[in-house]
Amino acid sequence: MKVQVRNLDKVSIIDPTGDVDLYSSPSLRDALLAEIKADGPSVLANMAGVTYIDSSGIATLVEGLQLSRQTKTRFGLYGLRPNARSVLELARLNKVFTIFENEAEALEKIGTVKPFGGL
Amino acid sequence: MIRISICSQPRLLNILRGVVKFTAQEAGVSQADADYLALAIDEAVANIIRHTYKGRHDTRLALEVHTFPDRLEYVLEDWGPKVCEEKIRPRPLDEVRPGGLGTFFIYSFMDKCSYDPDFKEGNRLKLVKFLPGKGACYNEGSSAKSG
Repeated sequence: MKVQVRNLDKVSIIDPTGDVDLYSSPSLRDALLAEIKADGPSVLANMAGVTYIDSSGIATLVEGLQLSRQTKTRFGLYGLRPNARSVLELARLNKVFTIFENEAEALEKIGTVKPFGGL
Repeated sequence: MIRISICSQPRLLNILRGVVKFTAQEAGVSQADADYLALAIDEAVANIIRHTYKGRHDTRLALEVHTFPDRLEYVLEDWGPKVCEEKIRPRPLDEVRPGGLGTFFIYSFMDKCSYDPDFKEGNRLKLVKFLPGKGACYNEGSSAKSG
């Protein structure tokens, strides 16, 4: 898995690509938490390139969500593939995260997300 | 039967996932369900690495995949300290916190989970998934989703 970070105007986008598992989730965690701690107003995780995610990857996203609530950073996910989406739904986390369909929608709406989650 | 023995290196998890997906699809399991089975095995192996081996990457574990007409059986062996089955519980889903979902996924995607009490050298975990419409053919072993 690779993780890239794009810093747009008022929004940081994390772009992980590949499988997120016990081996690779620490890389995603480092990037995600660093961006949330960086004190920008909004952080998005682009999940379109994530081909697989296990509980360690989901734990990383939950950790990011919790930190974003502390730092009052808007945090959202977008581009979830069906397998990742179904795993989140099974764990009943799809209602906990702010999830957008794609990058255009995410960039349009992330500014309206309450920093503690939800639109 | 396929048996793979690897060191407890998380980097190798993708190899096990590939084997599980391949054998499941060969047995007629849909791609989506094969993905779920791969996730369950991945979580079980990750639990061995994280909890039984305390993160050590220089130990070994083994995965066997048995294909039967009515079911798939996965046997995971490790040579760590004995697991206390009573302590293995999925966390309540209304607790939103990092961690604790691996066991939930194992229980969700597998039909039977049991430890072999006769495996003296470590732990032997057997996970069973019945093939669609064939679950009634199987009567062996402990109660469903124990362990």
